[in-house]
Amino acid sequence: MPHLEIHDLTVSYVKDQPTLERFNLGVEQGELLSLLGPSGCGKTTTLRSVAGFIQPDAGRIVIDGRDYTRLPPNQRDIGLVFQSYALFPHLSVFDNVAFGLRMRRVSRNKVRSRVTTALEMVGLEAFAKRRPAQLSGGQQQRVALARATVIEPQVLLLDEPLSNLDARLRVDMRQEIRRLQQQLGITTLYVTHDQVEAMSISDRVVVMNQGEIEQIGTPESIFAAPETAFVADFMGFDNHFSAAVIALRDSKLTVEWGGAPIELRWRSKIGSPQIGDRAEVFFRADDASLTAGRDAHGLAGEVILSTFHGTELRYLVDTEIGEFSIMQDSASERYAPGAAVTVQPHTGKWIAIFGEREQPA
Amino acid sequence: MIRRPNQNRSIIVLVAPAFIFVLVFFVLPLIFLLSQSVLPGDGGFTLTGYADFFESRVSRIVYLRTLKIGLIVTGISVLMSYPAAFLLARMPARRRSFLMLLVILPLMTNAVARTFAWLIILGKRGMINQTLMSLGLVETPVRFMYTETAIVLGLTQLFLPLMVLPLVSAMENIPDDVLEAARSLGANRLTTFVRIVVPLSSDGLVLGATLVFTGSVTAFVTPAILGGSRLLMMSTLLRQKSVAIFDQQAAAVIAVVMILTTLAVNLLLRVGRVRQV
Amino acid sequence: MVSRWMYISLVILYSFLIGPFIIIFMASFGANANLAFPPQGFTLDWFANVFERSQFIDGFWVSLRLGLLATIASLIMGIPVAYALTRFQFAAAGLVETVFSAPILVPGLVIGFAMLKFYVRLGDLNVLTVLFIGHTAILFPYSVRVISASLRNLDPNVEDAAISLGASRLRGFLLVVLPNMQAGIAAAFVLGFITSFNNVPVSLFLSGPGVTTLPVAMFSYLEYHFDPTIGALSTLLVIFTIALVQTAERLLGLSQFV
Repeated sequence: MPHLEIHDLTVSYVKDQPTLERFNLGVEQGELLSLLGPSGCGKTTTLRSVAGFIQPDAGRIVIDGRDYTRLPPNQRDIGLVFQSYALFPHLSVFDNVAFGLRMRRVSRNKVRSRVTTALEMVGLEAFAKRRPAQLSGGQQQRVALARATVIEPQVLLLDEPLSNLDARLRVDMRQEIRRLQQQLGITTLYVTHDQVEAMSISDRVVVMNQGEIEQIGTPESIFAAPETAFVADFMGFDNHFSAAVIALRDSKLTVEWGGAPIELRWRSKIGSPQIGDRAEVFFRADDASLTAGRDAHGLAGEVILSTFHGTELRYLVDTEIGEFSIMQDSASERYAPGAAVTVQPHTGKWIAIFGEREQPA
Repeated sequence: MIRRPNQNRSIIVLVAPAFIFVLVFFVLPLIFLLSQSVLPGDGGFTLTGYADFFESRVSRIVYLRTLKIGLIVTGISVLMSYPAAFLLARMPARRRSFLMLLVILPLMTNAVARTFAWLIILGKRGMINQTLMSLGLVETPVRFMYTETAIVLGLTQLFLPLMVLPLVSAMENIPDDVLEAARSLGANRLTTFVRIVVPLSSDGLVLGATLVFTGSVTAFVTPAILGGSRLLMMSTLLRQKSVAIFDQQAAAVIAVVMILTTLAVNLLLRVGRVRQV
Repeated sequence: MVSRWMYISLVILYSFLIGPFIIIFMASFGANANLAFPPQGFTLDWFANVFERSQFIDGFWVSLRLGLLATIASLIMGIPVAYALTRFQFAAAGLVETVFSAPILVPGLVIGFAMLKFYVRLGDLNVLTVLFIGHTAILFPYSVRVISASLRNLDPNVEDAAISLGASRLRGFLLVVLPNMQAGIAAAFVLGFITSFNNVPVSLFLSGPGVTTLPVAMFSYLEYHFDPTIGALSTLLVIFTIALVQTAERLLGLSQFV
């Protein structure tokens, strides 16, 4: 049984327009699970429902077998980390971290030793007497992390904890959060809109869109094999086109690419595809290459634009089935805008997706 | 802001005491006032109070004079504040905060004290008359007291800070870059001021104008001291009707006209501001 | 962008704003009783006169008590309103805001007049009570507005953090919100007190026999006397106000707020 269970959670801010409707999710003991999606997808609503700051219209929140649904937020055994850090500005770092323990009437000596340990874990023992305003953003978020974990909560909730930090610090903090989470073995729900962040930190990722789960799985499986067009788009599949299925064999299907057949993996939420169905095919910019001139075997096109990205060049190529973005090693042959090229598919990582839109009436 | 459990109950508990207080001790008196202006002593409903007010030559003159004085005070305040506010907004923080303190200080002193100075300046043997006579420009003292000029001067001194403060805060928000951009595109100082600074500070101007105008047309102390019963404004007329003549219905009518005037000005300028955005 | 005529206009503005205070100050030490200017001689008689007149001394104590009580009352009732407005989203918020800003929109004299007519009907209230009620009502806009501003500066998540750590909503407010509102409350207090302490139009109608606020006493004095006593008193009041604001600034650091 999962450590944190969300059953049929329904929340509506506007009547009859539920943000979440019959939403179900389980987080295993000690697991870090990310809720990934664009703003308004329901991820923060889910997190705040677990924290108890939103009273759901229906559904249940269960932690460690205990029903939390009607429990006020201050009686839930939950650690919460905010995007804005939300440190208490008038209290020292020490008193910030001690707050939860004092609420729990932990003895003075134990407070001191536990807070000290928690500050050591985030490397801030030297800053105990400072006020939050005297710390950098990264240090503030570390305090917030120590404050949320020192109470040894059943579940740790993190709401976009890195969004206010600059890019380089974000990478450090990501590792820090992951290390701390594994050290403490704490069940964690992590909300983010950044796919790189979710990929790098999570045991499992839930991709959400409009209150629904699009896909749930390990970072590797979601990255390699998105099941819906939305996830593919979100996971950085830069290119897509639609094509008719012309053959099916084993677990692969065949579509046409510039007059030649190509064989692809496929994913479908609507049962097995049939010959003649239209597939949405997705591939990343570095899963294709360019050759000079118009080739009879392959998709011919014309370079519209090239941009330099250090070790790579990114070309925008216009073809009869649409524009594609293709990455090439900058050491390889270069093409000027207007050059005729052929797009060579590296189909191993391409994927054909059958969504609801293609479902026959 | 996020919806919380039991929020309606919390809101009622938080708001109710103050809300009921304001309702009973502020809103009800005003409703009662409104009813007094339309209900004659013997029951029924009548607008004769309003008809009397607008038919009476005296009250018409007083009403128009009040509006006129309000406009003049607002105009003078704008002219006096605008360039100065621009300068204040561009000053280094320390010097500015000292000068802003000098703007706020008068606001913290009561109107009687601030109007009293004008008795010394404008009186028969006041500063101006002494100067004029010693220079031989006049032989007998000129009467400044109980004139519209006296009231305008007093009210301008009283409400000037209410124009300066919003203007400075609006102009503080204009980045230097924008002004430099305008200059680099070929605008001279005056053009930059008129085409960039003025439109970008119009919110402050509108707010300041609203405050100064409504303040001027409803002020009591200054017109009472500098205009007395010889040169009435709406507020002094209201007091006269109520305390000296005991015509409570007429006083109530004046009160309602004053409320409607300030509300109209507030609404008008607010609509203007919304349309601009 | 800055040019000479701007400096000239700045000088004009400040002589207009501050000049009258300098004139009052000079006149309050002048020996002539008829407000002639420039004053002749030097005397402290007018200051003595201030302290000899019971209406000023009594008026000062009435205004002081009234200012303190009305400000405290408006804060006690106004803080929860500001809290509701800044921490909850609700349909009636617009109405609540309008009601609490209304006392600023309605002319003071009209408020005083309306209150007089109405409170007389409420029964035999004592004058101080009536003044207290009236002043409390007109101070709401200031306390609600200033406290709301200070609450908006405080991240609402801070309270949620306290609650998630085990504090009840009330405890979270007392332990985390209130300590961070100190400067806002102090600013609202000073603003409210000064507003009440200086009010004439509302007090004018509500003052009764024997109980008069200081500014109303000053106003009445001017209706019968044309001597520098009011100048001397004004000088004292300016010093009192500066001292008050300075103290508040020293103790609480208001300037970061206003």
